[in-house]
Amino acid sequence: SSNEHTLNFKKSKEACLSYIQDALLQKQWKRAAEFLTCYAESLEKDYSREHISPSEMIWRIGTEILWHRSQGSMKEFSCFMEQMKSLGVKRYLKVCLEHVFHLLCNGQIDEAYQNLSLAESWRFGEQTAIQDKEMKLIQAYRGLLDYYSWSKQKNILLEHGEDGFSDLAVEQEMHGYFRKAAMNLKEIIKIPGVWDIFVKCYVDLLEFYGDHNEARQVLNEYAYNSKFPANPNAHVYLYQFLKRQGEPKKSLISALKILHDIVPSHELMIDFNTMLQKSKKRKNRRLGLEVIFAALDYAGWKENAKAWSCLARQVKQIVISEKHLDWIKQEWNSRKDWWPAFHFSRYLAKRNWRENQSLSYEKALVAGILMGKDCKYFKYVSHQGCKAQLKQFRMLKKFVNKHSPVYLRIAG
Amino acid sequence: MEFPAVLFPSYFGAGPPQEEGGPAPVAGWGEHGQVLEGNRGRRQAQPAFVPRRGTTGERWEAADAAAVPVLLPSEGCWIPSPAPQDILFRSGLCRNLRVGKCGATLDFAKQLGHFFVDHPEDAFGSLGHLLHKNFYLGNSKLKVTASRNSTIRMTALVEDLDRLEARRGCPRQHLASRLRWFSHLCRDWLFEVPLGLLADYLHEELMQQWSSLLFDDSLTGGALAWLPREDEEAPVGCLVHPGGQAMNHLYFQDMVLEELPRARGSPAQFELSGHVRQVAAARVDGQDFVGVRSDYHCGVWKVRGKTGAAPTPLQVVRTDVPASCLTVSPHLPGELSVCTEGGTIYLWNVETGLQQLRHDPQTMFFRDHSPWRWSDFTAHPRVLSCADRTGLQCLDARAPKKCHFDLFKVGEEAGCQQGERVVLPMYLGRAHPSQYLVTTQFSVYVLDERLPLMPVLKWAHMMKAPPLFAHLMPGKPGRSHKVLLGASRTQELLLLQYLGGSQSACQLAGTPQKLHSITGCLQHLPTQLPHRHHLLQQRLAAPAAGLAATLQEDRLHKSMLIFQLSEAGDVFCQRLTHNAVQTPAPSSRDETITAPGSSPLFEAPASSPQSLGAAALRYRRWLRALFRACREPPRYTWPPSLSQRRLFTRRDLEGPAGLSSLQQQMRQRLRQAMQEGGRIQHWEPLALQSPPLPQTLEPAGGPDPLSARLTAAWAGDWEQWWEERTSFSVAQRQRALRERRRRQKRAQGHRSLSASFTSSLTYQSELSELSDTGPPVLSPRRPPILSQEGTPPASSPPVRSPPASPAPDEALLSSQSLRCRGIPKERRKTLRDYLSVWAEGPPEPLEPPGSQASQLCIPSSQSQLSSASQPRRKRPRMGF
Repeated sequence: SSNEHTLNFKKSKEACLSYIQDALLQKQWKRAAEFLTCYAESLEKDYSREHISPSEMIWRIGTEILWHRSQGSMKEFSCFMEQMKSLGVKRYLKVCLEHVFHLLCNGQIDEAYQNLSLAESWRFGEQTAIQDKEMKLIQAYRGLLDYYSWSKQKNILLEHGEDGFSDLAVEQEMHGYFRKAAMNLKEIIKIPGVWDIFVKCYVDLLEFYGDHNEARQVLNEYAYNSKFPANPNAHVYLYQFLKRQGEPKKSLISALKILHDIVPSHELMIDFNTMLQKSKKRKNRRLGLEVIFAALDYAGWKENAKAWSCLARQVKQIVISEKHLDWIKQEWNSRKDWWPAFHFSRYLAKRNWRENQSLSYEKALVAGILMGKDCKYFKYVSHQGCKAQLKQFRMLKKFVNKHSPVYLRIAG
Repeated sequence: MEFPAVLFPSYFGAGPPQEEGGPAPVAGWGEHGQVLEGNRGRRQAQPAFVPRRGTTGERWEAADAAAVPVLLPSEGCWIPSPAPQDILFRSGLCRNLRVGKCGATLDFAKQLGHFFVDHPEDAFGSLGHLLHKNFYLGNSKLKVTASRNSTIRMTALVEDLDRLEARRGCPRQHLASRLRWFSHLCRDWLFEVPLGLLADYLHEELMQQWSSLLFDDSLTGGALAWLPREDEEAPVGCLVHPGGQAMNHLYFQDMVLEELPRARGSPAQFELSGHVRQVAAARVDGQDFVGVRSDYHCGVWKVRGKTGAAPTPLQVVRTDVPASCLTVSPHLPGELSVCTEGGTIYLWNVETGLQQLRHDPQTMFFRDHSPWRWSDFTAHPRVLSCADRTGLQCLDARAPKKCHFDLFKVGEEAGCQQGERVVLPMYLGRAHPSQYLVTTQFSVYVLDERLPLMPVLKWAHMMKAPPLFAHLMPGKPGRSHKVLLGASRTQELLLLQYLGGSQSACQLAGTPQKLHSITGCLQHLPTQLPHRHHLLQQRLAAPAAGLAATLQEDRLHKSMLIFQLSEAGDVFCQRLTHNAVQTPAPSSRDETITAPGSSPLFEAPASSPQSLGAAALRYRRWLRALFRACREPPRYTWPPSLSQRRLFTRRDLEGPAGLSSLQQQMRQRLRQAMQEGGRIQHWEPLALQSPPLPQTLEPAGGPDPLSARLTAAWAGDWEQWWEERTSFSVAQRQRALRERRRRQKRAQGHRSLSASFTSSLTYQSELSELSDTGPPVLSPRRPPILSQEGTPPASSPPVRSPPASPAPDEALLSSQSLRCRGIPKERRKTLRDYLSVWAEGPPEPLEPPGSQASQLCIPSSQSQLSSASQPRRKRPRMGF
């Protein structure tokens, strides 16, 4: 019968849990809280070998309820969290981390810092892999908070510096923060992951102290280490760093080229295209055309007037010079079966004309050159433009008519 | 297309998932996940942090207490799909087995038996014809003729079989040696289809049925679509949904969105050649393209964006292997992607046809047995995603073999758990061009194509069944995107909100919210009669089959309409209203708990009288239509009885000439017991018998008026009963009286036959049941044979009219009809003899339910009884 008792207990526990779940999903916090007080009994006879232990369940449910019910009473929340920390050894660091997050989101930076320091000094037997990761995160967040303190001191110092006198104590304090922050941040960014914020802060610290080599190395590692995820931001940070350092165009282009290879739809592609168009090298201008065509393949760029004007400008240039028409031809070849429906339908012509005339102008120019003057998009827009007696559109019509043999060469 | 300048920190691992897991009931609560520095002004001294989960979201509240039916139930009753008890073996002997490790035990023998009974021609046809001459089924001894040497008498075998059937469930059942001998002899050659092969197929089918009961992935994506119309002032739209008894009709129903959505006009209707599994829709260039998937066919329709525009069918493709996915391109008109269970992915363009992108029966990242495949579009119109249970890859349609990258992998990269599998991927293009949703049975992930493998958002959804349906409602800039997740079997519906993706990193906003399920309305409905309640319960609990939603905004308030389709073809709808005032303290509304039985739907409402009243009205109309459509024909439970043909051979009936006194005595007792409606408890001599049982409650002459009236009221046609009763003219009554007297006289002579009446009747009812025309329609006022084969009473729906024959008893007696019922030639004459006796005079009035025969204690066959007293479920393919 003890078995039966266990079974019954388990059943009622599950029932209670499902009531709580139901209440939470319907935002009935008070009801959930009432059931939770009953559920606390499950801690006494914890026979379960489940994935999530009852103590963790209570922590999760309780936290959720307090988020919504405590009406901003942080004291109550912290009190609950302290109890939860003592409840389970396995999840101590996790609970600490979540507590810190909550404090941070509520602007209690100092308390958060204290909690982080406390958690960092916690030791209990051998750490599991997960605990190890959590510990690293705790250190990293402490480093981040140190960085913010450093940055605060730095701003004070800079303001004072403008006044003409320096405060030695403040400066020393600032250096202290730097050491602590740098040490902790350095650790986490060695491990594969997304550490945008930590990397940014660390690089900022290094740059301030003039350690550009280390900064470059960190950014290179972050961008190019194959164990790390293909994070576009890593490349963006590197590019921005190189730009700040005043590196030659060549290295900027090569940094952006890699970004183009992994994310052809990145917003920096406009900058990249502009940079390439200005280049004297033929190869680069060719790449520029490729880049802008590739960007406009994506649905997110469909109505980007800036991108269309980039393309229109470059296409116009090529048509006028009548050199490298084969570039356009090559790009167009792989797109001619779907771009007309995707970009140059009559429906889009109407909508673009109605919503954004300058966009429709640029698109009409491209359409007129790529698909000839009989294309629906060009016809509609130029007709509307002429009807509205806009000079720009009359010029456009003239231009396309003049260069209509180009279309034949592209299509042929 | 901006990319967030800073992403939330997270670890990135590689390899198979490390975390041991399982369904965790509360895993999604109480976690911020990570924090990130939010936007802070230059002057602000302190950094402000934002959490990955836990920012406030929009507040949406249900307008009604339950979901409300949108359309009236379709004509004809819904046939529920097989339930576990149809497939599983249930027996005392096997219970011990089942508790063990082997899991479900499929009732293989019963299904094979069904096949033999349902398709005897297929099973034994040609050999039966061949052996026709060699089997003799008569009772008389075989005469010594030329054929004597090559003919065997089968009657004994058949009797043995019947006895075996009767003893099913008896712990001491022994196979008759004769049967064993016969089966040993015939096993290899008697069946038309090789038995081994047939058994293999049947087993395979059973396994498939069972696995689809556990998890049916053919519904993935859902079969409901909402096509908004923009050109009118009043908010209107078109609801595309399947219907009909086999869900093979496709309807395009125009709807007007008022307080409750209302159908406008009659729907455009298409009859398709298969069960509609999925309806997918996308709007391109102001036109809606609707893709419809059934098992072996996929079709595409075009609907102009204007109201009243008729849908145009464009093209249909047929697949050899069942299709598992059909998605419509949001970028290019008339472009779709199709996946089949054979592992092939096609890009389907209405103008240029099919282009095969990949064919790989193996799964992508690790081995998984599921043949399910999915495909969807991405931000690049030429790049398609393809998915199986192990993850997602993106393929470039221009060079599918060379250009591809991994978008999502069940593994450490996304922090998955062991055993986690992809359930539904969906392109979230309308929220953000490069975002993707992936649901698994444990979690929901938001992915960004630009950062593959690493989910930008992950949340444990805690749903009891895997979410098979998802619907996105994109938010305007600065507002949250809403994602609805729906499960099939449990009808769960969850509303999530998330923010970001371009300027800021993705965040889960607000708390996830559970919405009304269809079955939840049951507690709010007025009390029903028990059988109707049961019908309603079954109907409302049908698994969900689709999900659609629309946001409706006018100047003053915003609301969200959510449509849910059930497998029974019902479309229910619920409205959520946006609560613009951010109240941190919960309003009293939160805390009101709707106790079962309280029915805010049907109460006189205080706040908004029209809406609640409308909902109640809608319900009444729906209920009325449902009961009209699903009205069961008045069915009287027949006394369980069994065939006595084998007990009384013709010779027995001729006269008790050469019988021993004991036999005669027994016979007498049997007759007496049958007449009295009593039972024989022991076959010992009379002296030892216990006192006779009390008389049955109902007199033998027919049901008394009260019980007849109650029965009629129970069956729902009380009014008819009353009419009949009042219009019963005096003359008729006299005639009836005379009739009865005559019958009583005659009954003296036919007593032994009258006892066998129920038996032949039961036999007939079994037969008619086997011939798929639905449950037999019996009315006590008519001669039973007539009502069996004649036209059904007027109250039954016209759908199930059995083939009417001009002279029913003649038709019944014709040797052809007897043969087609499987009655052996030798027995036909006997049966004809019986029935001709009946045809002479009007039969005895039928005994009321629960009298006579049920009391008999002849070793009764339980299975036969149950099959006669309750309707069997409709059998799907292969005889079950």
